[in-house]
Amino acid sequence: MEERKLHSVMAEFTDVNSLMAAAERVRDAGFRKWDCHTPFPVHGLDDAMGVKMTRLPWIVLAMGLTGCGLGLLLQWWTNAYDYPYIISGKPVWAIPANIPITFEVTVLFSAFTAFFAMWIMNDLPRWFSPLSRKKNFARATDDRFFVVIEAADPQFDGVRTAEFLNGLGAASVEEVEMPDEPTRLPARYRHLLFTLAMAMLVPLAMIYNAQHKTSTEPRVHLVKDMDKQARFRPQGETLAGLFADGRMSRPRIEGTVGRGMLREDEGLETGMEGGEYVTAVPSALQVDEDFVRRGQERFGIYCAPCHGFTGKGDGLVHQRALQLAAEGNAQWVQPTDLSSALVVDQADGRLYETIRMGRNTMPAYASAIPVEDRWAIVLYVRALQRAAAQ
Amino acid sequence: MNSLNEAVQDVQAGDLAPRVARIGLVVGVVGLLVGAGFGLTGDAHAKQHFWFAWLVAFAYVLTIGMGTLFFSMIQHLVNAHWSVTVRRLAEITMANLPAICLLGLPLLVPLLDGHGTLWKWAGGGHHGEEAAHGAEVPGGESGAAAEAVEPAAQADPLGVQLAEEEHHEFVEHKRPFLNSGFFIARLIGYFLIWALMARFFFRGSVAQDSASDAAPTLRMKKWSAPAIIVFALTLSFAAFDLLMSLDETWFSTIFGVYIFAGSFVACFAWLVVCAKFLQSRGVMKNAVTREHYHDLGKFMFAFVFFWGYIAFSQFMLIWYANIPEETHWYANRITPAWINWSWLLLIGHFLIPFPGLLSRHVKRRTGVLLFWAIYMLVMHWVDLYWIVMPNLDPQHVNFGVVDVALTLGMVGILVFLTARRASGQALLPVNDPLLPQSLGFKNA
Amino acid sequence: MADSFTVPAAATQDERVFPAPLVAGTNDFASVTETVCSIVEAPRAPKAWYVIFGIAVALLGVLGAMIVYLVSTGVGVWGNNQPVAWGWPIVNFVFWVGIGHAGTLISAVLFLFRQGWRTGINRFSEAMTIFAVICAGMFPAIHVGRIWVIWWVFPIPNQMSMWPNFRSPLLWDVFAVSTYFSVSLLFWYMGLVPDLATIRDRAKTKARRFWYGLFSLGWTGSNRQWHRYERAYLILAALATPLVLSVHSVVSFDFATSQLPGWHTTIFPPYFVAGAIFSGFAMVLTLAIPARKMFGLEDLITMRHIENMCKIIMATGMMVGYAYAMEFFMAWYSGNTYEGFAFVNRAFGPYWWAYWIMVSCNVISPQIFWSKKARTNLTLVFIMSIFVNIGMWFERFVITVTSLNRDFLPSSWHYFSPTWVDVLTLLGSFGLFFTLFMLFCRWLPQVAISEVKNVMPQAHPHHHPSEGKEG
Repeated sequence: MEERKLHSVMAEFTDVNSLMAAAERVRDAGFRKWDCHTPFPVHGLDDAMGVKMTRLPWIVLAMGLTGCGLGLLLQWWTNAYDYPYIISGKPVWAIPANIPITFEVTVLFSAFTAFFAMWIMNDLPRWFSPLSRKKNFARATDDRFFVVIEAADPQFDGVRTAEFLNGLGAASVEEVEMPDEPTRLPARYRHLLFTLAMAMLVPLAMIYNAQHKTSTEPRVHLVKDMDKQARFRPQGETLAGLFADGRMSRPRIEGTVGRGMLREDEGLETGMEGGEYVTAVPSALQVDEDFVRRGQERFGIYCAPCHGFTGKGDGLVHQRALQLAAEGNAQWVQPTDLSSALVVDQADGRLYETIRMGRNTMPAYASAIPVEDRWAIVLYVRALQRAAAQ
Repeated sequence: MNSLNEAVQDVQAGDLAPRVARIGLVVGVVGLLVGAGFGLTGDAHAKQHFWFAWLVAFAYVLTIGMGTLFFSMIQHLVNAHWSVTVRRLAEITMANLPAICLLGLPLLVPLLDGHGTLWKWAGGGHHGEEAAHGAEVPGGESGAAAEAVEPAAQADPLGVQLAEEEHHEFVEHKRPFLNSGFFIARLIGYFLIWALMARFFFRGSVAQDSASDAAPTLRMKKWSAPAIIVFALTLSFAAFDLLMSLDETWFSTIFGVYIFAGSFVACFAWLVVCAKFLQSRGVMKNAVTREHYHDLGKFMFAFVFFWGYIAFSQFMLIWYANIPEETHWYANRITPAWINWSWLLLIGHFLIPFPGLLSRHVKRRTGVLLFWAIYMLVMHWVDLYWIVMPNLDPQHVNFGVVDVALTLGMVGILVFLTARRASGQALLPVNDPLLPQSLGFKNA
Repeated sequence: MADSFTVPAAATQDERVFPAPLVAGTNDFASVTETVCSIVEAPRAPKAWYVIFGIAVALLGVLGAMIVYLVSTGVGVWGNNQPVAWGWPIVNFVFWVGIGHAGTLISAVLFLFRQGWRTGINRFSEAMTIFAVICAGMFPAIHVGRIWVIWWVFPIPNQMSMWPNFRSPLLWDVFAVSTYFSVSLLFWYMGLVPDLATIRDRAKTKARRFWYGLFSLGWTGSNRQWHRYERAYLILAALATPLVLSVHSVVSFDFATSQLPGWHTTIFPPYFVAGAIFSGFAMVLTLAIPARKMFGLEDLITMRHIENMCKIIMATGMMVGYAYAMEFFMAWYSGNTYEGFAFVNRAFGPYWWAYWIMVSCNVISPQIFWSKKARTNLTLVFIMSIFVNIGMWFERFVITVTSLNRDFLPSSWHYFSPTWVDVLTLLGSFGLFFTLFMLFCRWLPQVAISEVKNVMPQAHPHHHPSEGKEG
């Protein structure tokens, strides 16, 4: 049988004391590529072997600090920068509220680093070791202790090293041969793993593709959620025979009037009578100082934001819009100056209609301002006009 | 590893103890006198400040005593090996609890003067105003009247201070608990209980030195559990009484734990300082090893973290819910005057020592560890100052001679008492059953 | 210049001071290996295993059915209503996540305190942690309603360009529990590797050699590898300690950051952590007492282990009691009428029965452990451990439901009752837990073999090594 190449020489010890003594001797003899194999970490063996403290803690510290920074950055960027919104009165960047997650991310990074770095630095996983071919070596994870000196060590000499180990009180000394069959993963497994890795890229590619294309097809909607609801839509089909006229939106019942819809006094309600704007506040209302003051108050609430407190059209909305327009973010037409000739010449009824129905870009305020208040505002506008004329 | 016989060499302080005691006494008396001199001869405002400073200094030495008491008891409860060599140092500190408690006696003066000088609820009806206008001066000296009239809005920019009627209602509600009579009775109760516990655990430990078996240790172990339960309750209520009730409408269920956390950090720091000092003078050279310092350092680190966790919990929960009846306490500590002190506390008591004490190398270099121990003792004082002083005046920090003098005075007295207790005493529990293990362990 | 002392030897020899050995009986390394590995290698499990596994799988099936019913029909199948929007699901979540804490405490905190007795139970309890956290994490996931968009809780870009609200404690929970789960898993797996290698080296069949070989990563017990391994273990233990404190604190923040009386109180974080450890240790006992009998582990999980666990249960129970006392005192002291009412309501309101179950199970019944006789009576300890967990479930129930059921506005008060779906889901979660646990017992080493060997007297060398030329 041809002589196989030696991997190492292995000595078996029965207890920790003889192991420790042997390890010290091996260390002192100047060997470098050697190791002990024990079923549990033996205290003091690191010193006996001359093993230096690992750098792992520093790597963990560095990654932990990274995690800390990333945790803070994540929370700041998402909640305070990219899409800031105020919730429950907290500032957009609420540091006390960010501490728990920052802490967790720090621990997460540190722990994962400790775990993975340790295996990597230990050169594991390694699914084959020549030592595992020796029957005795199985007891390294049970109740025996081994010293293994590798042939690659410069001081290694096949026969002398074995004798040396024997002299240290070993229960047995054996030679460990290098395997001659290949120890890499067989080709078919490697190809399989490669194929799997490529296959995992496919869904990612599909997602990328979908995100950068548009489509006229509706989205795939796996969970219908509330798409189909058990209800009837206003203009939609109706349950046969439910209503004689086949409509789901029902018309008003004969002889009824919606609340607030009984418009008996057309002039009061609409500001127009017989197609013409009324020219004075309807007599149904009592016009006195209180009424005008009410108008002032209501004007300050509803009108001043755009038209300004003086009615000149310089309210806060206008100021803000000017800012936005200066940034190029808005198109803006200044709210009408209520003291301008145009408005002064308009009839009271027309002013009323403007408030009620809106005009141009001004929205309708009918839903916000009740009828009397609208007339009070009209009167106040007249007061502003009179003041401006002086 | 040092053998048992080596370790028990030089475990007495010899004539070091009386010398240190003398220095302690001198510093103590001078400090208190200087503090009193500056404090009690000023105006009413200065006198009030004096009492607040006395409370800070008193709480400082009291918390060191309580921390060391807890340390002594918990080691018995859990059968700890590592701590045996330093336990006697904790014991000679906590054995002085009765005397330390007496240092609190002068606080009866501001308690009973009827103006609510220190604890406002003890005053006769002025408490409402004092809360709403931080700088109000009781007793009305005309010279101080000008600064007494502070616009309410300026004193309450965040709008969290309670209106006077509400304030009054809350204080009256607590009257059955917060009244001078019951308060004094409670304090006497706490002091008696602590005196009993201190005596029991000190005497037991000393008895073990000359016992022929482990009976004293076993007895102390048996009583440690009930004692710790009583400790937890008395410390918490003492914290409520002495410190929390300074702001008579505020409350926090975690406050007792918060004070405990600070005390325990101070305990470990104190032990490092004591051990280093003694070893530098040739005492206990072989008994307290690098391994013990490493463990003391680990605990200091752990409890700095624990303190930070408790302090954060208290702050964040109150901040988050934003309920004015709780937030005003913190609002008083983020005023323009006190905000820097708050930053000092956060950064100095947590953000700096946390990385500082992280590395095992720091914990094994006793010189560096000593630096951190002294640092944490200072920070513990900063913590107590921050808890107490803003109740006097949220708008001004009047840090000065009185604060320093009184604290140094109290610490001097504590050193005096401890050194006196150390005279003629073995500073190592020489006959403790676990002493061999204490000398023999090694940190990873 | 001090008197030296001669040390009387008597005290150090007093046996009463020293606890029983960690490994009982006449065991050496080989017998420890045999005891633990033979369970995994046995061709058939003990009969009791099949019975328990069968029941567990059946309950797991019930859980599956309940979840399908829930997701297809909606959250209305539960008893949650307004104002009690958090019902059993959240109570169960806090319950399970609390139980998980004991495992990490035993693994990490007791390791930092150099408590050798942890080695008999740490593998067991770490496994319990992982399975408990799985059960826990399931509840918030299914209680959201639209479980198919649960991924929105993670900061993953979505079609609304919205991000989760990191200022919410519910999101802190997501991060805390996921971190806790992954770190515990890593820690547990790391501890398993040397023991899986032991099983691999004893394996008689090819399949066993393959699977245990795969997961043991080629571990050979090399000391250079042990060195880094031990360092990583220490670092993980040091990280897991604040982590375990933080996780249940974050869970408590779910309640304490609110403004509800009974919920908003600053002591919640440490109180919840103490309660979690309390219930976790009880669950370890509930599992360990039958398991050690069933699988012949009495020499490795000894009476000393049982007693120590009972003492920790007492200690943490006291901490929980302390918290009750503080809350109760402050409820009066604060003068806050709502807070005061909340506490009176707990004791005498519609849920008074839940409150008193909680108090008797959590505060009163653990007092029995003052007696050494009680601590060493296995039947009693087993029964007590179940009581503790019942008490802790009720504690979460009382906290959650009484504060919601009657808060500030009496017109909003409404009673909460669970539905049959709530009850079966809770029972089903035990099925999930026990299924996983039984699988663990059968196929993985229940005791940390290498760690137990490490604390046996034979493991410690008599002399200390010299520093050598490089030292």
